[in-house]
Amino acid sequence: MNENRKQLIHLTVNGEVQSVAVESHWTLSRVLRNDCGHTGLKEACGEGACGACTVLIDGVAVPSCMVLAVEQEGKSIETVEGLSKNGVLHPIQEAWLEEYGAQCGFCSPGMIMSTKALLAKNPDPTEDEIKEALGGNICICNNYEHIINAVRSAAKKMREKA
Amino acid sequence: MRRFNHFNASTMENAVSLLNESEGPAYVIAGGSDLMGCLKDNLWIEAPERVVNLKTIPGLKYILVEDGDLHLGALATLTEIAESDTVKLQWPGLAEAARRTASPLLRNMGTIAGNICQENRCWYFRYPDKIGGRIDCVRKGGKRCLAVPGDHRFHSIFGAVNKCIAVNPSDTAPALVVLDATVKTTKREIPIDEFFTAEMGAQSTVLDRDEIVTEIVVPAPQAGPNSAFRKIAYRKSIDFALVNCAAALVIRDGKVESARICLNAVYNNPRRCEASEELLKGRELTEELAQEAGRLAVAEAKPLLQNGFKVQMAKTIVSDTLMDCI
Repeated sequence: MNENRKQLIHLTVNGEVQSVAVESHWTLSRVLRNDCGHTGLKEACGEGACGACTVLIDGVAVPSCMVLAVEQEGKSIETVEGLSKNGVLHPIQEAWLEEYGAQCGFCSPGMIMSTKALLAKNPDPTEDEIKEALGGNICICNNYEHIINAVRSAAKKMREKA
Repeated sequence: MRRFNHFNASTMENAVSLLNESEGPAYVIAGGSDLMGCLKDNLWIEAPERVVNLKTIPGLKYILVEDGDLHLGALATLTEIAESDTVKLQWPGLAEAARRTASPLLRNMGTIAGNICQENRCWYFRYPDKIGGRIDCVRKGGKRCLAVPGDHRFHSIFGAVNKCIAVNPSDTAPALVVLDATVKTTKREIPIDEFFTAEMGAQSTVLDRDEIVTEIVVPAPQAGPNSAFRKIAYRKSIDFALVNCAAALVIRDGKVESARICLNAVYNNPRRCEASEELLKGRELTEELAQEAGRLAVAEAKPLLQNGFKVQMAKTIVSDTLMDCI
């Protein structure tokens, strides 16, 4: 049963190709945190219910604790670390700071990645659309008002830039 | 999570032979949102020896309309179905059911075939191995159901199947039932009414261990897209249903020609409300008639000590869903 214990997979994480040897039962969140050094994403519930481990796989937001790393061969993965460029924050991150989107900050990496996926699809979301899109991300500090304001402000910043 | 051997299937035939060649239990993985939970909790008595990935099979991720019928590839995700304009227009009950399943993140992963094949969510059945050891309930070959004397607030209000009172948690299942879908597998075509069964041990469907769903076909609506879906859950997003309901009506000249109504999360299998369907036939749908249909739907309910509230919910949701159809 333990033949071929480790397999080499190739991931493009935030634009950088990485080769990692993984075991078949390792989740993507574990590999990203332990082997790729991307500790921005957090693993909290481990069952896909809280969204703290949200990353974008080929542009789609998924909880990385619920996907097997071996199945991500050749995929392009985006984590919160990939947002700022050359020390300049991404508009979503700026909005998060200005609107106090984070209290303890544990949910922020996931919230921000879900926001990125939402704004790529819908540059001007209504409050209901924001609530629906962030429905899979839980904030234990109950900071939702500020998070929604941050998403709105981020959307505005990104529209102005574009 | 325990170790297992992971295989990428290249075709459906390949996937079936990979399942058959396995020495121990083998499972297929598509979206993985249900299977990963089961693997993490070490749910089954015998740990899976291999997991076969279906995502590497090309051409299974489609939403097509052919001769008016809707063809859903097994790997079509719930997000894709919920956002499909064709589905929203012609089969609104199904689009809404897909939209109300789990959270957006899980809908991005979860597939339609996986959603109807998911294991039940009974907390005794799902009790994680890591905290004090797995519970071998009646569904897993044990002697008794722990939910009957224990906490059964989310369990069946229509009695037990083989002593088990866990409910089928799927949101898309009742929608597919009322739309009279057909499930195509690697072996046969199964009418949706015969697809769900809690009578065969841990699994919730009639599928054999080496049988895989390939496609779901939903027939064209007979007279206008009169279908709807409603769900009651603690949180609007993410939670499993306390009660959900789908209905599809054929309305001609202002009168209901035929009706299909299905409640789920109230019984081991999705439960058709046949008495209510009969009641509607040949009559004009009014608020009063819908309420009467709701009363009939729960006439045979046998709630337990803690889940009487679900009877009231089921009654209301049936009449509300019917009114949504028109």
